[in-house]
Amino acid sequence: MTKIVEHEEDEVFDIELEESILKKNEDFAKKNSELFKTNNIKTIDIMGSIGSGKTSLIEAMVKRLKEKHQIAVLNGDLTTTIDSDRVAKHGVDVIQINTGKECHLDANLISKALEDMELDQLDLIIIENVGNLICPGEFRLGAEQRLVVISVTEGPYMVLKHPFIFMEANVVVINKLDLAEAMNVEFEKLKADVMSINPKAEVIGTSCRNDKGIIYVIGALNLN
Amino acid sequence: MTLAAYMHELSMVSNIIDIAIHEAKKRNATSVIEVNLVVGKYSMLGLEQLCYCYDLLIKDTLLKTSKLNIKHEDGKIHCDKCKYKGPIPLKEEPEYHIIFPTLVCPKCGNPAEIISGRDCYIKSLKVKT
Repeated sequence: MTKIVEHEEDEVFDIELEESILKKNEDFAKKNSELFKTNNIKTIDIMGSIGSGKTSLIEAMVKRLKEKHQIAVLNGDLTTTIDSDRVAKHGVDVIQINTGKECHLDANLISKALEDMELDQLDLIIIENVGNLICPGEFRLGAEQRLVVISVTEGPYMVLKHPFIFMEANVVVINKLDLAEAMNVEFEKLKADVMSINPKAEVIGTSCRNDKGIIYVIGALNLN
Repeated sequence: MTLAAYMHELSMVSNIIDIAIHEAKKRNATSVIEVNLVVGKYSMLGLEQLCYCYDLLIKDTLLKTSKLNIKHEDGKIHCDKCKYKGPIPLKEEPEYHIIFPTLVCPKCGNPAEIISGRDCYIKSLKVKT
């Protein structure tokens, strides 16, 4: 007897997909990364908590590097041009990227910003991510290096509370060391916390306000 | 509870729904019954927030009666030096009572790399025609 299989009215199908939700971002990041390589541009994604000193660090770095490098800085924030205005005073190209409500920059926003830039005139792009120790870690931008800034004023637990972003970084800056004693926070303990999560990371203490430690950050990023 | 607090998950779920609708339409489906999602434990996504955003965004779409199943995937590391491959080790900080993941290889102590547990992907869909 022949068995007949008929199409039913309400047929249910299983569709195997294995489609990554983050892939869209990874594709843009790859495209950005290739663009940076073709134009011989070094790129650094600076992530960190709100008020930890990301902009101050960029200002201090730009002051020392602008004679030697052709620099552009991309500042990510929800709104305002406060950060880009601060950096622009140092006479480098600055683009403010306002994310509206998004808590991080993504590779697509960077790729849009790159469209308006004269990449052949540049050899260093510093990207300041939105102040946040969580989501920026997830969204790679295509930058060659990733740096995380925290400061002693955020207390002694900042690293262990946010292990994931420290896994992503190759350089970690602990800022505001001039206030460490007043805050009763030890640099060495924070450094040990970073090393226990990510032994590959280079950890540097700075006091951006007093221009201390900046040369070591520049050295760790191979920008000498 | 405002949506602004969930922006990260919201954009992810919005992507998930777009993909599901695209796949369903390709097969002339009238509705999506199930979305099977895999979320790495080392992605920055909160499961509760994903479900909350999902319920909000499926309204008036082909997914409106669908169920979101989430599998939380463990992370793995690989050590280039001693070739160890296994779960991401956890370390305890006794002073603060915090348990945190570490990239220190549990076998040889050298730095290891994460090889899985960071992604978020749709494993499969169930659709009705």
